[in-house]
Amino acid sequence: MDTRPHLLENLAILLLKGITVRKFLAIALVAAVSLTACRGGETKTDDAGVKTDVGVTKEPCPEAIDKNKGCIYLGIISDLTEGPFKALAVPITDAQKAFWKRVNQQGGIGGYEVDVTKNIKDNKYNPQVHKEVYDSMKSGILALAQTLGSPTTAAILADLKANNIVAAPASWTSAWAFEDVIIESGANYCFESMNALDYAAETYKSKSVLAVHYAGDYGDDAAAGAKIAAAKLGMTFSHVKTDAGGDKQAGAIAEVVTKNPDLVILTVGPAETGAIVGQAAARGFKGRFIGTSPTFNPALLASAAAPAIIGLYEQSVPWNSWSTDSAGHKAMRDSLTGVTPSEGYTSGWVWSYPLKAALKKAADNKDLTRAGLLAAVKSLDSVDYEGMLPGGAGNFKAGVAGQIKATGIYKPDPTAPTGGKRVKDLYVGPTAQSYTLDAPCFGKL
Amino acid sequence: MISRSRIGRPLLYTSYGSDMGLFNTLSKKVSVALLILVALALPLILEDKWLSLLAICCVAAIGAIGLGLVTGYAGQVSLGHAFFLGIGAYTSAVISGDPDRRLLGLGITEVLIWLPAAGLVALLAGVLVAPLAARLRGLYLAIVTLGLVFIGQHIFGEWDALTGGTGQGRPPAKLELFGYDLSATDSAGSRDQKLFWVMALLLIVFALAARNIARSKVGRAFNAIRDRDIAAGVIGVNLARYKTVAFAISSFYAGCAGALLYTIIGWIEPSAFSLLLSVQYIAMVLIGGAGTISGAIAGAFFITLLPTLTRMLQPLIPFVSAEQTRIPNIFQVETILYGALIIAFLIFEPRGLFGLWIRVRTYWKTWPFSY
Amino acid sequence: MVELIEAVIRGLGRGSVYALLALGFVIIFKATRVISFAQPAFMLAGVVMVTYLVGPLGFWGALAVATILTGLLALGVERTAVRPMVGRPAFVVAIITLGVDIVVRVIVNAFIGINVRQVGDPWGLSTFNLGAVSVEKRHVAVLVVAALLVAGLFAYFRYTRMGLAMRAASYDQETALAQGVSVGSVFAVSWAMAGGLAAVAGTFAATGESVDGLMWLIALTALPVIILGGLDSLAGAVIGGLIVGVLQEIVASYQSSMPWLGGNVSIITPYVVMLLVLLIRPYGLFGTREVERV
Repeated sequence: MDTRPHLLENLAILLLKGITVRKFLAIALVAAVSLTACRGGETKTDDAGVKTDVGVTKEPCPEAIDKNKGCIYLGIISDLTEGPFKALAVPITDAQKAFWKRVNQQGGIGGYEVDVTKNIKDNKYNPQVHKEVYDSMKSGILALAQTLGSPTTAAILADLKANNIVAAPASWTSAWAFEDVIIESGANYCFESMNALDYAAETYKSKSVLAVHYAGDYGDDAAAGAKIAAAKLGMTFSHVKTDAGGDKQAGAIAEVVTKNPDLVILTVGPAETGAIVGQAAARGFKGRFIGTSPTFNPALLASAAAPAIIGLYEQSVPWNSWSTDSAGHKAMRDSLTGVTPSEGYTSGWVWSYPLKAALKKAADNKDLTRAGLLAAVKSLDSVDYEGMLPGGAGNFKAGVAGQIKATGIYKPDPTAPTGGKRVKDLYVGPTAQSYTLDAPCFGKL
Repeated sequence: MISRSRIGRPLLYTSYGSDMGLFNTLSKKVSVALLILVALALPLILEDKWLSLLAICCVAAIGAIGLGLVTGYAGQVSLGHAFFLGIGAYTSAVISGDPDRRLLGLGITEVLIWLPAAGLVALLAGVLVAPLAARLRGLYLAIVTLGLVFIGQHIFGEWDALTGGTGQGRPPAKLELFGYDLSATDSAGSRDQKLFWVMALLLIVFALAARNIARSKVGRAFNAIRDRDIAAGVIGVNLARYKTVAFAISSFYAGCAGALLYTIIGWIEPSAFSLLLSVQYIAMVLIGGAGTISGAIAGAFFITLLPTLTRMLQPLIPFVSAEQTRIPNIFQVETILYGALIIAFLIFEPRGLFGLWIRVRTYWKTWPFSY
Repeated sequence: MVELIEAVIRGLGRGSVYALLALGFVIIFKATRVISFAQPAFMLAGVVMVTYLVGPLGFWGALAVATILTGLLALGVERTAVRPMVGRPAFVVAIITLGVDIVVRVIVNAFIGINVRQVGDPWGLSTFNLGAVSVEKRHVAVLVVAALLVAGLFAYFRYTRMGLAMRAASYDQETALAQGVSVGSVFAVSWAMAGGLAAVAGTFAATGESVDGLMWLIALTALPVIILGGLDSLAGAVIGGLIVGVLQEIVASYQSSMPWLGGNVSIITPYVVMLLVLLIRPYGLFGTREVERV
C-alpha cells in the first residue's frame, strides 16, 4: 500500500489550504471574463466609405501587387486529391488563381486586391468533407470563388443562404437557377442533355436512349433532361445509375450491351467513361455515346479504350475549348503560359467572370458586405464574358428565365491541344428552347 | 495523524464504500471537478472553430468508449464500428427529418426521443450480429465485421429514401430539447458554444456509465473473456450472453455517437461509414490505451485533433507545402503521421497514451528512486 | 446461354486476380499467423511501378522488374514494422499493417498524380471468338499467368528446401526452429512473395483499364476470398478466388433484372457469399479448425 503523498495530492493540499473557496471562484471569474475577449467579428466602414464585414481586410493580401490596397478574401473548395474530377479540378483552380491575379494586375476592385490562394481546400468530392472544410474557412472569406460539385454544394447551400455568402459553383445542375446565392455560368446539365438529344436525333436518327449516370444532382439532372427530350422526340428512354470507380461499371456495361440503345448519355467521370465505352465496344456495342462536359479527359486517348472513344464518343460542352479565338480565351492563354492545355483551365476562367462583375458592382455601390455583394448579384442583368459565352449570358436579375441554354458538341481528336475538335458551335436545340424550367430537373427523373 | 495525512494517501481506504467507489480519494474528486469546471468554462474562452472541433472530440470519445468496451475490455475485435455509427446517424436523421421532403422523415425533433432511439436501433443491430460473432474469434471476427461495414455501405448507398444515396446525403437530426433549439445561435451563446456544452455533458454521462459497467460483474466477465475465453467459459461465465452484451453496449454507444456526431458536422453522406472510419476508432482505442475508459477518451481527443495540430505545424517545416496540389504537402504528412503513429504506438507503447501517463506517474511517484 | 458462358469466362479472369491476391494473404498468414492489410498498398505500388517502367522496358520487362521491386518493398516493411512485433497478438500486428497500408498508399498516390496512368499491356480490350462466344484476350492471359504462377508456387513448396522450410514453419514454428529452419528468413521470403504476387495481380487487374488511386479497393475483395477458402489453405485461396470472381460477374450480368437489390449489387456479392459460407463452415471451405488450448 502506497501511503506517501502523491504529487497531485500535494497540489490539492496546497490549493485548498492557501486559498479559500470564495477567493478561488473570484479569481476564476475574472480570468474567464478577461479571456472571453479572445472571441471575435462586425461591420466596419473603411476610409473610402465602403462598408465591409467578413472577409475584407485593410491589410494587403499575402501576395499583393500593390501593398497599399486592402484585401478581399475568396474561398475555393475543389476536388484536388482523390475524387473523380481531380484531373479537371486542379486546372480549374489554377485558372482561377491566374484570373484573379490578372484582375489584381489591372488594379483590383474598388481599392482592394482579391486573394484566392489563402483559402483553398480539398473536398474529395464528398459532401461531408465539403461541409467540414467550408465551416473551417467560413469566417475568413467574403464569398466562394469556387465550390466544386453539385451534391457537395447542395450540402452547404442552407448555410450559404443563411449567411448571404455568394458562391460560384464548379458544376452545372439546374438547381442553381433557383438559388440567388449561386452565380452559375453556362447551360445546366438538363438543357445540355436536351441539346445532345436534339443533335443525335438530327445527326444519327437515334430512336432509343439510355442514360448512364451518377446518383445525385449531377447525374440525375442530365438523365432527367434526356428523359424530357426523349418524350418530346418520341424516343424510348431508360436509365441506369452507377458509382464512381472504373472497376465498378460491370452493371452499367451489362446494361448498355443488353439494352443496345442507339444513344447513350453518359454523366459520370472520365475513368468510368473509359471503362464503359471501352468495354461495351469490346463486347460488340456499336451505338453512339454523348457525355456531358466532365466525362472527358485527354488522358483517355492514351488508354486502351482510345479507339472506342474516338469511334463512338462525343462530348457536349457549355463553352468553346481552350484554343478558340475570343478575347477571353486569348487573355486566358496569355495568363497561363507553359501549361499543358486542358479544358479545366477554360472552365475555371469562365466561372470567375460573374463574381468579378458582382464585386465591381458592389464596390461601386460602396457596399462590400456579404449582403451587399448578394444584392449586387441580384441586380446584374448581364456579365461581360469577353466573348467566351454568347451575349445575354449572366442575366441573374431575370432569375430562372435568364438561364443560358447553349451547348456545343466536340469529338475526341488526339491532334487537338485539349483532345477535342469542335463538331458543332454553341446552339440551342428546339427542346431546350421551348422548355420552361419550373423546378430543378433532377426531381423529374 | 490520520485526519491530515489521509488527504495525501491515495490508496488508503478506510471503508468498504471507498474501496469500491468510483471517486474514492480526494485528489480524484478534486481533479475531476476541476476538469469539469474547465470544460464548462472553455466555451467562454475559445473561438467557435476550436469549440466545434472539441465538440467532435467529445462525441468521438463516446464512440471510442463503446468500441473500447467491446474490443479493449471484452477482447472481441470489431472492425464494424462504422456500421453502427451509420445506423445511429440515420435513425436519428429519419426520426427528426422533415416529413414533407423526398427523404424519409418523421418530424420528431426532440433530442430525448431520437438519441435513445438511435442507440436502441444500433443496439438491436448489434444483438443481431452477435450470434455470428460469438462463433468466431480473432481475425475471422475482424474480417466478418469488416464485411458488415461493406454491406452496410451498400445498403446505405442504395436506400435512397433513407440516406439520399451515394454522393448525395441528407441533413442530420435537429437538436431540440423541449422545443428549445440547442444548435442555433442566440443570446445564450453561439451554436458552437451550446453544442460543446451539450456534448461535454453527454460525454461525462456516458463515460461514467461505462466506468460503472467496467467495474461491475459485467465488466469482470468481459475481462475474463478477453484474457482466455475458454477458461472463462469453464469457470461459469456465459460466453454467448456476455459477448452479446458486449456488442449490444458498444453498438448503443456507437449509435448515440453517430447520431450526435452529425448534428455538429451538418451533413450525412453514405460513403462516410467506411473502413477508414472503423480504423479511426480502432486507432483511438489502441493509441489511447485498450482496456481503459480514460484511454479511449484520450485516444479520441488525440486522433481527432491530430489533423488540425499537424496543419498548424506546417509553417515550421519549410519544404512541406500547405497546398494540396504540391508534393509533399501537409495533408500527405498528416496521413503519413496518422499511419506512422498507429505503428509507433503499437510497437513502442502498446498500452497507448494511458500507458504513457502511467509511466510518467510512476516516475514521479517513485522519484528519486525511479530506477 | 452464350451470355452465361461469357460471364463465366470474365469471372474466371477477374477471379484469377483475386486468387493471386488471396495467395499473398494466405502465404503471409501461414508463415506468420498474421493478416497483412498492407497487400492493397503493395498492389498499388506494383502497378504504379509498372506504369512508370513500361516505357523503357516494355510490358513484360516492367512486370518482372516491378514484381521484384515490390517484393523488396514488402521485405523492407516486414523487417521494420512487423519483425519487432513477433509474439504480440495477431490483431495488433494486423492493425500495424493497416498503418503501413495508409502510409504506403499516400506515397504511391503522390506518384499517380492527377491523371490516370496506363500499364501498357499488349491486349487492351481486344477479343477473339470461340465459336459463338466472344472472349477478351486479357482474361485468358491473366488466367494462364495465374495458373502458371500457382503451379510454380506448388512446385516450389513441394520440391525446394526453402519451400519445405516454409511448410514446416507453418505447421509449428518452435519445432521448425529446433530442426534448424531459419524462421526469420521464412517470414522474409513469405512477405516478399506476397508483395510480388500483389504486384502481378494489380497489373493484370489494370489491363484494359486505367490506374488510379481507387484501385486499392480491388485488393479488399481478396479478404472475403480468403475467409471463404480458409485462412491457411493455398488451394482454398485459388478456388475461393475463382468462385468469387465468377459469382460476381454472373450477378453483374443479371442484376439489372432484379433492381430491388439495389444497383451494383455485384460489388458486395463477395461479402454476402462470405457470410453465408461462414454460417455453415466457420473456418472456410478448406480451412483447418483452430484448436485452442487453455
